Amino acid sequence: MNYTREELVKSDATMNQLRNAIYHLERFMKINGIADIRKRLRRMGRNIAQTYSNYWKPIDSVNLENIKDVLATLYKNILNSGVSIELDTSNNTITVKDSNCALCKYHFEDINEAGCEIILAMMAEFILLINKGSESVFSLEPFEVSESQSLGHKICIHHYKYKVGGK
Amino acid sequence: MGAVQWLLKKITKAFGRNTNSLFYTLLYREILKEINEVTENEEDSILILREIGKRAARESCERHSSVFKFMPGSPKKVLDYFELLWVVVFGKEIAEGDLTYEEIPHEGSKYNDYIIRIKTCPVCAGYGMDGADTFDFKKIENENLEGLACGLTGMLESVANFILKVKRNDYRINIIEQRCMARGDECLQFKCKIYDALEWKALSEIKIKDKLRSDVKFEESLEEEVLQETKMDMIDTLQDVLSLDKIEEMLDEPLEGIKSKVRELIQDKLNMEPEHFFDYFKNYEDDMIRIIGFLAIHLFNEYGGIVEKILANETFSKVAGYIFQQIKEFSLLFIPIDVINDYHQLLISFLDGLAPADMVENVKQFTGKDDINYLFEGAQLALENLGINFTELKENVWEELRRERKDGLISSDQSVMERTEEKFPKIIRIIQELFMLMSEILTLPVRVLISESHYGLKTAINSVVSEEEGLFGTIKDRVDTIFDYIQEIRQ
Repeated sequence: MNYTREELVKSDATMNQLRNAIYHLERFMKINGIADIRKRLRRMGRNIAQTYSNYWKPIDSVNLENIKDVLATLYKNILNSGVSIELDTSNNTITVKDSNCALCKYHFEDINEAGCEIILAMMAEFILLINKGSESVFSLEPFEVSESQSLGHKICIHHYKYKVGGK
Repeated sequence: MGAVQWLLKKITKAFGRNTNSLFYTLLYREILKEINEVTENEEDSILILREIGKRAARESCERHSSVFKFMPGSPKKVLDYFELLWVVVFGKEIAEGDLTYEEIPHEGSKYNDYIIRIKTCPVCAGYGMDGADTFDFKKIENENLEGLACGLTGMLESVANFILKVKRNDYRINIIEQRCMARGDECLQFKCKIYDALEWKALSEIKIKDKLRSDVKFEESLEEEVLQETKMDMIDTLQDVLSLDKIEEMLDEPLEGIKSKVRELIQDKLNMEPEHFFDYFKNYEDDMIRIIGFLAIHLFNEYGGIVEKILANETFSKVAGYIFQQIKEFSLLFIPIDVINDYHQLLISFLDGLAPADMVENVKQFTGKDDINYLFEGAQLALENLGINFTELKENVWEELRRERKDGLISSDQSVMERTEEKFPKIIRIIQELFMLMSEILTLPVRVLISESHYGLKTAINSVVSEEEGLFGTIKDRVDTIFDYIQEIRQ
C-alpha cells in the first residue's frame, strides 16, 4: 500500500536536489526558445496550490486582519521557512522576506528568473482557494520577486498585491 | 541497519533543506509537466526528467563531495547502502520491511545485477487523484521506458556513481526504474547493473538527442568522468580507515571475531603468539592501558598532524588543555559507574584467552574508574608531547582570565575597586563551584539516558546511592567547598 497525499502532508523531504532541478528545467526551457519562463514558473506554483489545498488548509477564511499570520503559516508549514512579513496599506502591498528560501540558495549567472516565482504564485493561489468557499472578499495577487538568492542577492523578497472587495 | 548508517541518515536529514513532502512531490510533478509542455512527447519528457535528475544530484554531490568520501567504495557495498542513498536523495526514510533486494546472477561479470523493490514511492503517492495530475502515462507506448520516478532514479544513479568516482573505483552503476506505481504496478522496482569502465564509457557515449523522438534541444552532459588528481586532504587519508562499511564491520563484529583478528594481526605482523606479546606487559597492566590512551591521541595526530598544528598556538594549546581537564573530570560524572565497570569487564573478556592468566588476574584487580583514569593519563602524556604544558595551566579557566598584578605586591592605598578585585578570585571560585554543582545535578538525566541504553534507570539510581565517590559524594564535597569560600570572604 503506497503513501497517500494526506500522509505526505505530515512528513518532510530534502529539497537540495529538486531545487537544482528547477534551474535545469529553466535552462531546458531557455535552450528551446521559451520566452515566458516566469509565466510558466508561476503556472507551476498555481498548480501546486490547487492540489495542495485539497489536502491541507490552515484556515477557512483569509482577510486583511489575518493575512500576515496565514502567510507565515503557509511559508512555515509548506516550505519550512521562517519569514518576516510587512503589510503596507498605503499601496495595498505585502512584502515577504525569506532568508532561507526553499527554492533558491546558490547564485546562477545563466539564470534570469528566480525559482521562487513558483512560491509567489503558489501562495497567492492558496489564499484565493481558501477564500473561494468563504464570504471573505480579500484576494492576493503575485506582484514580483524583487530579490532572490538565485539571482545573487542575500535573501529572497516576494511582493504581493492585495485587494479587499475588488479594490 | 547499522548504527553508523542510522547516524548518517539523521545527519543528512538534519543538514539538508527540508520542505513538506507533498510540496516536494507536487513540484516534481510540475517539473515533469513543464518538460512535457516543451517536448509535447511523453516518452521524451521521461528521458529528459531522468537527465535533469542526474544533473541536479551531481551538482549537489559536487558541492558536498567530502561527505561521500566516507561512503563504501565498491558497487555492491554502495547498493547495500541503498536506503541511505534514498535518504540522501529524497530525505524520506523507507519504512521497515518496505525495501527488498534480489540478486540476479550475471554470467561473465564481476558483479551480479540487483533488483530493488520498494513498496512505497512518495512521487507516485496519490497520482491521478487530482485534476492537476495531467501527465498521461497512457500515451507512453514503450513498455521499457521508466515511470514517474525517472527523475528520482537519475538522482539515485548519479549519487551512487559520484561515490564510486570519489572512491576512485572504476565500476559504475546503471539504475533503471522497471516498475512504477503511477503506471499501475504494485511497487517501485529498480534494476541495478554494474559496468566496468569500458562498458560504462560505451553506454555513456549514447547521446540524449539520439534517444529523443521530438526535435527538442537538450544540452549533452559534460560530466567529467576522470577524477582529477588533487593533493590528498585529511579526509582522503582517513577514508581508508573510516569508511562507513569498515566502521559498521567494527561495530557489528562480535568480541570473539575481534579477538581472532587481533590474534592474526599479532601472529602475522609480529611473528609471535598473542600470549607472548601480552607477557611483555605483565605487572605493567596500568601502563598498557595508559599506552592505549597515549596511542589514541598520537594516532589521531598521524592524519595530517592536525593536533600538533593546533597545539602549536599557545592560546589554542591552553584552551585544549582546559577542555581536556574538563572532559577528564566530567567523564566520570556523566557516565554511570556500572556502565564504566561493564566496559572494564569487556576489557577482561578481551584479554581472556589472548593474554597470560596472571595478567588477566591483575587487570581484574582494577576498577572501571581506574581504567578511565589510566586512559586519560596516557592521553595527557601524548598531549604534553604534542605541545600542551599542563603544569602551566591554572587550577581552573577562571583564574587564567584573572588579571595578575605584575609585581605581586599589595597596594598600601587600596581603593574599593582594588579590594573587590582581591576578593574577586574567591567570588569567581564560588561561581565556579556553583557551576560545577549545577553540572553535577544535571548529570543525573544524562546518566539516566546512558543507562537506558544499558541497564535502565536502576543503574543510574544505584550509581548515585551506592558509591560514596559517586554523584552524592561529589555534590557533598562541592557544597562543602562553597561554604568554605563564603566563610573566607566574610572574614
